[in-house]
Amino acid sequence: MKTLADLLRKRVLFVVGKGGVGKSTVATALGLAAARRGRRVLLVQMEATERLAQLFSVRMGGEPGPRELSSNLSLLRIDGMSALTEYLGLVIRVRRVLRMVVESRLYRYFVAAAPGLKELMTVGKVWYEQERRDPTGGGFFWDLVIVDSPATGHSLQYLRMPRAAEEAFGPGLVRREAKKVADLLSDPARTVVCLVTTAEEMPVAETIEMYEQLCHLRLPLGILFVNRLHERVVASAEVQQWLVSLEEAKPAVRSLVEEILRCAREEALWAETNEACLERLAARVPLPVVKLPFLFTEEFGLEQVEVLRELIERQLGVRVIGTGKTAEYRWI
Amino acid sequence: MDLSALVKRHRVIVCAGSGGVGKTTTAASIALWGALRGRRAVALTIDPARRLASSLGVEGSDDKPKKVPPQLFRRYHLAPQGTLAAMMLDQKAAWDALIARHAGSPELHERILKNRFYQSLSSTFAGSHEYVAIEQLCVLYESGEFDLIVIDTPPTRHVLDFLEAPRRISAFLDRGVVKWFLTPYMSRGWTKLKSINRSIGFLFRKLEDATGISALAEVSDFFAAMSSMFDEFRERAATIEKILRSKDTAFLLVTGPEEQVLTEAEFLSARMAELEMPLRAVIFNRVHPEFKAERNGELASQPPGLDDCPEIEALLRSVLGRQLKRPVLRWLCRNFVGYQLLARGDALRMEQFRAALPRKIPLVSVPNFDTDLHDLGGLARMHSYLFRE
Repeated sequence: MKTLADLLRKRVLFVVGKGGVGKSTVATALGLAAARRGRRVLLVQMEATERLAQLFSVRMGGEPGPRELSSNLSLLRIDGMSALTEYLGLVIRVRRVLRMVVESRLYRYFVAAAPGLKELMTVGKVWYEQERRDPTGGGFFWDLVIVDSPATGHSLQYLRMPRAAEEAFGPGLVRREAKKVADLLSDPARTVVCLVTTAEEMPVAETIEMYEQLCHLRLPLGILFVNRLHERVVASAEVQQWLVSLEEAKPAVRSLVEEILRCAREEALWAETNEACLERLAARVPLPVVKLPFLFTEEFGLEQVEVLRELIERQLGVRVIGTGKTAEYRWI
Repeated sequence: MDLSALVKRHRVIVCAGSGGVGKTTTAASIALWGALRGRRAVALTIDPARRLASSLGVEGSDDKPKKVPPQLFRRYHLAPQGTLAAMMLDQKAAWDALIARHAGSPELHERILKNRFYQSLSSTFAGSHEYVAIEQLCVLYESGEFDLIVIDTPPTRHVLDFLEAPRRISAFLDRGVVKWFLTPYMSRGWTKLKSINRSIGFLFRKLEDATGISALAEVSDFFAAMSSMFDEFRERAATIEKILRSKDTAFLLVTGPEEQVLTEAEFLSARMAELEMPLRAVIFNRVHPEFKAERNGELASQPPGLDDCPEIEALLRSVLGRQLKRPVLRWLCRNFVGYQLLARGDALRMEQFRAALPRKIPLVSVPNFDTDLHDLGGLARMHSYLFRE
């Protein structure tokens, strides 16, 4: 799996990683890459945040159901409780009875007593969306479902749930459904799990652990995206020497030059950390790597996501659908 | 009250915030600060990912806090007057320990441990972390071994589960729903329950359909086995609630200056206020400092941009001159402009966030360090910013 075409050919693409490393950004960039190629893409978020919608100046509000973000790209937020209600709606056809069940205390406590049910239903809903047929034609409604997973520990719990439920529950509807979902997740023809990390100590440690657990769960793995890489033009030690030599400089300019050099030292030190971490990743996580730069920007918006999309396209061997704005891309 | 006074006056510090903002690091750093000043401190992390252990060099701690060894302090030239322990919560181990603590007899202990519903609840199912975490806080609190407990909570949304857990447990136990699960199997039998009430009977048939009957039986058996412990659990829940609301406990919000993170932080602080667990301080991590030029002149009057590069390059050449090649000069300059962009964005967003907070809450900015903070030395480096010393 080394090209973008390979990735986008799947039915479901999970994007996993530690909190705050840029999962949503990578998921969105991949979604845009697919959408620009005419694929109908559903982006799925498992946490109720407005941010992704805000990138596209769309308000999600409390409305259930997918919302279109841009051409060919829609966003759906899945919340476990409503997914469960929706699911029961398929089992219990009579509305009035359904409402009675859902509003009963027993139901609410049953769900509270089996906390994994919500997670199972969330992944089940992903399965349901990718199975959906286009009412006007014979094909699938979505060409690709991209799931922006919650932070590491919790996303593992989501991915682990279907198989666990299949084993834990007795024969019955849930078990049969869980098996279908579990089979989808472990099918390399239909599913791929991509990891996102930054090249820093803690995220890398977590990524290595995550990778091992994903292998253990036998889930098909795709690309490792290493985000926010700093650039090293000069070694930090050299910048340090310049800083020392500044002592002879005129006081009028000294504070500014000192600050410039401090920023350079910071950048060089981060770059050095990144390099060491990339080596560690290469040794422990044998997946193809896409490297994404740290972007200097006052506010991270759609423009920045597009830059990352272009860089992903370039590295994954497809023609870049470009804005041509790459020369100055790190300072926007 | 600044952060050092806050830590000095409280016994339990709860660090909340979204993932990836340095919450674990901050919690560990606060615990270390306490230890250096004579407190018997413990840092408890309940994040499913294993972060704290690696920061404190206490790999493999499971259901008991582990002391940070003295040689590790010496390696970083630190001389604690108190002690520092760390504990990473292993969900399965914590559940088992909880059952072992509360089960009256070995038979009961055995029966619960073998229950399939319990097994999935304790090891596989999400969301049960919060329950054991809060129980663990209670154990640490009551052990009397620690006079400073710093907890690093799970990311935002889950922190609410964590804080609401005691109330939910009490509500759960109080409303007698457990009896619905218990009674049919214990005394009256399954069929009888179905006839009690048509709707409940119907519901049970649906749940049977949906889950498979054996699962329900397991759930029922689980509650039956647990029922003897319920009184004790209810008491625990009340104790925990008391700890969380006590004057000894302070909630800190750890956040970053990025927009996404601040949105989460706003949500969290609003919800915590509703829960009447108000924030006592906010810590911004990884902030890019803005450069304020002291001299007059064009560069100082407005923030530098890429347009200013030729001028800045000329200045750099005049000061560092001969040593530097053109591409390096160019990089130095652009890098500086980039950092100023970041700093300006950070400052704007922090200012907006600050405006929405109650006035008296202290706000602490910790700069973006030029390397990862992942060892005791790194944790100690944070102190000068956290505690302004």
